[in-house]
Amino acid sequence: MGTRRLRVAAQFAAAGAALAASLAACSSGSSGGGQPANEITVSSSECGGSWRVPGPGWHTFEINNQGTTGAEIDLVDPADGAIYAEVENTGPATVTPMTLDIGSGKYAFLCSFSDYDPQQGAVVTVPGHATGTPAILPITYNDLIPLAKKYVTEEEVAIKVLAPETAALSAAVESGNLATARRDWLTAHLQYETLGDAYGAFGNFDTEIDGRADAVGVNSPQWTGFYRLEYGLWHGQSLKSLAPVAATLNRDVDQLATWWPTQEVTLSDLGRRAHEVIENALEFQLTGHDDYGSGSTLASTVAAIAASRVLLALLHPLLAPRYPGLPSVYTGLDQLQSLLEQERRPSGWWVAESALSVSQRQAIDAACGQVLQELAPIAAITEPRNTLNAF
Amino acid sequence: MPSDSTLSPDSPDSPDSGPAVPAAPGAPARRSFLRGLAGGVAGGVIAGGAAGAAAGYAYRGAPADPAAAADEVIVDGLLPAVPFHGKYQAGILPAPSRSTMVVSFNATAQGKAELVDLFRTVTDRARFLTAGGPPPVVGINGPPSDSGVLGPTVAPDGLTVTFGVGSTLFDDRYGLASARPRRLVPMTSFPNDDLDPAQCGGDLILQLSAGNADTVVHALRDIAKNTRGGMQANWRIDGFASPARPAGTVPRNMLGFMDGIANPSVTSRAAMDSLVWVEPGTAGEPAWTAHGSYFVVRLIRMFVEFWDRVDVGEQETMIGRRRASGYPLDGDSVYATPDYAADPTGDIVPLTAHIRLANPRTAQSAPSQILRRAYNYDRGLDQVGDLDMGLIFTCFQQDIGRQFAAVQTRLIGEPLVDYISPFGGGYFLALPGVTGPSDYYGRTMLA
Repeated sequence: MGTRRLRVAAQFAAAGAALAASLAACSSGSSGGGQPANEITVSSSECGGSWRVPGPGWHTFEINNQGTTGAEIDLVDPADGAIYAEVENTGPATVTPMTLDIGSGKYAFLCSFSDYDPQQGAVVTVPGHATGTPAILPITYNDLIPLAKKYVTEEEVAIKVLAPETAALSAAVESGNLATARRDWLTAHLQYETLGDAYGAFGNFDTEIDGRADAVGVNSPQWTGFYRLEYGLWHGQSLKSLAPVAATLNRDVDQLATWWPTQEVTLSDLGRRAHEVIENALEFQLTGHDDYGSGSTLASTVAAIAASRVLLALLHPLLAPRYPGLPSVYTGLDQLQSLLEQERRPSGWWVAESALSVSQRQAIDAACGQVLQELAPIAAITEPRNTLNAF
Repeated sequence: MPSDSTLSPDSPDSPDSGPAVPAAPGAPARRSFLRGLAGGVAGGVIAGGAAGAAAGYAYRGAPADPAAAADEVIVDGLLPAVPFHGKYQAGILPAPSRSTMVVSFNATAQGKAELVDLFRTVTDRARFLTAGGPPPVVGINGPPSDSGVLGPTVAPDGLTVTFGVGSTLFDDRYGLASARPRRLVPMTSFPNDDLDPAQCGGDLILQLSAGNADTVVHALRDIAKNTRGGMQANWRIDGFASPARPAGTVPRNMLGFMDGIANPSVTSRAAMDSLVWVEPGTAGEPAWTAHGSYFVVRLIRMFVEFWDRVDVGEQETMIGRRRASGYPLDGDSVYATPDYAADPTGDIVPLTAHIRLANPRTAQSAPSQILRRAYNYDRGLDQVGDLDMGLIFTCFQQDIGRQFAAVQTRLIGEPLVDYISPFGGGYFLALPGVTGPSDYYGRTMLA
């Protein structure tokens, strides 16, 4: 299982530093003179120099990194730091295109070189009343750090709910009561799914607690966790033989409960995970891939929606002013959840994905695909960015 | 089970065996794969078609750029013939052609003699199809000898036929256990794999590549109809290489990124001898494997809907290249060599970027380089209506453990794994080339 983590500690340090000198770089605010319109030279001591554009319209800047380290270069509105365009990971001695529709307004480059404080270049005013590529207010490391801490705490609480559930599951398997074991399995597994474990959020714990048989096969002793137990409970394996599996699962969850509070969440993961948990559900639950016998993948998808909602609730104050599509995200999640819950039987068990009619399946898959489209911009919007501390 | 008495005694390269006469009604037809149907015609065409077959390195105009296929001369939309005979198989070094197909078979031939006939028949068909020409006219003696898919005359269209063997061929069925290539094992399941046994492995592997999809499918139909009793298909996948867009020489994959940029130079004999070909006298290898090449096929689903929901900056840091230009993040041209020593902490090209893990560009990693040949596949929908498309990853090398498996081990857990899922393929040895009209695939293996 892979992770999509980008380590940001170094950038955070840079962004957090005081930048009293940076405004000195905001010199000559003019749209005349300067280097060729499309060539923008940046280095640790220069952020675009003086430059100009012919006027509003589509324009490609060639960002020429003459520095000695990698850099992130943004084109910003100097009034509030909102970002019009961005190129990341530009290497020394490289030229990287940055394309946008220039509108009327004020523009300046913001250069963030590794190991240097961000600096802002000349302010250029484009006259008139043309509308161009909209700028978006960056979300900073400082914006996200308290949310990440809150997320760790909320997850910690949820893991504390899970721990007695896996203990009960283990006891039920030990006692030899299949019906109770199956019910306890569903309760505990759905609680785990609400944690939003998608794509390696819990590192190796996720493999141990919720790993698939994909790479090792269903008969491998290496295969452990909820799905291994599900396979056994629904394939006629003796509870006696499954007792060690359940005990190991319970132990792994206890270890997760100890380990999790010591973790720092990679800040960019908050926004990513809001859609990744639903992507994960589409790929593995709604396809039936992760149905090892219980037919509960629709329930797992509902749990994934809950996980996404936790993240959206945290990010809501940042997203609401920046993302016009946010209301559609909520209505889309509601619609998907409502379609799924129609497949919950009075017994508490769920219609298996494989038993859905074509029209039921298509309605669910369409709703899931649509809400994923609506969720997709959130990761980009909430990616932490370097800013001048003036904002 | 028909007996071997139905086998044709013709030599495969007999110049005058002529069109086959179908078996009498009621007679067992199972052995129609044997060369009686095909041999003579193919033999007649070879003389001209293979006249230019010389060194194994001369192929498709041997473009100066290692990945270039743009210099090919196309007449009426068709590529010229690729010489079939040579020390090496002709389909290994060329850059991916527009269309390809990979088919795995199990050998169903009964005994060694039938297996030899199977290999001779595949050889004859490949020889004919790659050279082109008019198929024999059967007249009122039976159904036509050719499917007609390419019209009355078969155009070669740059067809290459790459034929290989899997480890399972070397069990006790054909007495080949002692001939097993030393490094040939069943494909490993890597930690991020989700392999479907029905789409893995096989005794035999056939890759057909050409300028157009009809050329490829025609070749498969021809080979299959002539080998019915001798081998049975296990799995199959069609692929294509896109034109380089917007220009240049490197096609893009379904993730929108250029694919196959960093390859060893196929015009460097030293590079090919040290990385691609099984060298004569390699310790432990049976002598017959010399000039063959280990052939890895990996069928890799790409979750393109998910990928399309990821911003381009994140895509680029996962791959390590710019999507638009193909440049490495620290470089100024497609073929620029990333300078990882100058970027030890991955500020520019992240340490987990695909290109950095796959090829760290160190002296230590140099011997693990592979000749990478990737094609796109596109074949319908999955269970939730998402597109089933991705990559037919193929590569050639001297030693799978030292090369492909080492590269793949470095890639375990890379961020890209969330967007892809390897589900099939296998490990094979592409046989040594067919050196002339009297030679056939695997002759020294079967001797």
